[in-house]
Amino acid sequence: MSDGSSNFGFLDRCDPRVAHLARQAEHYVHSDPDSCLFKLRLMIELMAKRLASMALPNLVAADLSSMLGALERDGALPRPQADGMHAIRRDGNAAVHGNPTPSPTAMRRLRDAHRLSGWYVRNVVRGAKVQPRDFVPPSAPAGTSSEETEVHDRIEELEDRIELQRRRTRESLLLFRDDEHPEGVQKRYRIELKALEMVAVAAGEPLVDADFVALVMAMDLEAIYEHPSFGLDTRDARRRAEKQLADVKDVLDSCEHDYLKERAELVKEMQLLKRRQLRGEV
Amino acid sequence: MSSAPSENELATLWFLTARAMSVAGGGLSASRQGAGGLYAQAMLGISEEACIQAKSDESMASLTLLDCLARLGHVPKDVGERIMTGVMMIAYSDQTMQPLEVRWASMIASAMSMDVDDFQRCCVNARVMSSMMAQAPDAEVPDVPEAGAGA
Repeated sequence: MSDGSSNFGFLDRCDPRVAHLARQAEHYVHSDPDSCLFKLRLMIELMAKRLASMALPNLVAADLSSMLGALERDGALPRPQADGMHAIRRDGNAAVHGNPTPSPTAMRRLRDAHRLSGWYVRNVVRGAKVQPRDFVPPSAPAGTSSEETEVHDRIEELEDRIELQRRRTRESLLLFRDDEHPEGVQKRYRIELKALEMVAVAAGEPLVDADFVALVMAMDLEAIYEHPSFGLDTRDARRRAEKQLADVKDVLDSCEHDYLKERAELVKEMQLLKRRQLRGEV
Repeated sequence: MSSAPSENELATLWFLTARAMSVAGGGLSASRQGAGGLYAQAMLGISEEACIQAKSDESMASLTLLDCLARLGHVPKDVGERIMTGVMMIAYSDQTMQPLEVRWASMIASAMSMDVDDFQRCCVNARVMSSMMAQAPDAEVPDVPEAGAGA
């Protein structure tokens, strides 16, 4: 910023190291975009570590990508923030490995970092009433030629296209759309599944019945638990799979039992009705 | 009589089936969210465009799971097996088993008139994929050392 103030001053009280890195990134955005990205990547790594220390302490030593993934899965990092952090991580890694960063790209990530910082402060400092000011792009050095401006515009256009493509890819990969209110849709499916379950209990499944599916799934789960990425020993894997199988079978048996009980009551009611009819009471 | 569904029909069918399995499993984890579309594109050959279209299509909202089962009964065997494999992969993605997952898998297999051997084969493939996905290393370059960082 031309007057020497920073977009990230509000971070000082919450996390001085993060604030310092943000200021450095801001300083380098025009003169050395690679360094700007480098600083931003460190900045989000510190943020992620602090978030992990609060939510998932055993993850603090993990690499940044794993940490972000785990935080997102845990619900500690909402998707828009995770996207912003991943974008900085990707571009930061590219810069570290010698891929030159154009200044407009660095500016975009700096803007992302500003957006993330507001969210970060509100989440790290309980009850913080921080309202960061709107992001003011640091001024470009004087004497920018028209050719440079034109190149910057083209880079901006390219960044826009990349951003759009990323959004589309993400949208295509998700099971549920972001704007779909998954709770409502899930509730609907749950109701339908329950109804279909009742039909299946009453009618039975012709070839692959639920007991068989449960058995196959338990065997597969046992193999998954033994897989090196989960690392359970054979005995623990078997115990865990057997426990799940027993739990599922209990529920399946209970459904069957409820169904048989309901059917027996209906039969009883019918017999009573028949007797009353025979006696001429109805 | 089974006939190969069009790409858009397949996308709709896949997302309905996979969403139901995800819900049957008790919720929508990030890994399930991503695995659904990844499988659609990589294994079922559905384009990015068709994946987006399937989820924005009004008809999908109006289709019930019963409609889904009815349509599954008409897909060719090889397509049905790929759908079953993907659905089981979603079921295995959180490494637990829920009664509704078991029931939904059984209903899908029955709707497609699948025999036990074919079903088991699909499950083995699903298990292998699920393990691979859990193991897949992140495309991450080594973390940047903090000390000495800077320009």
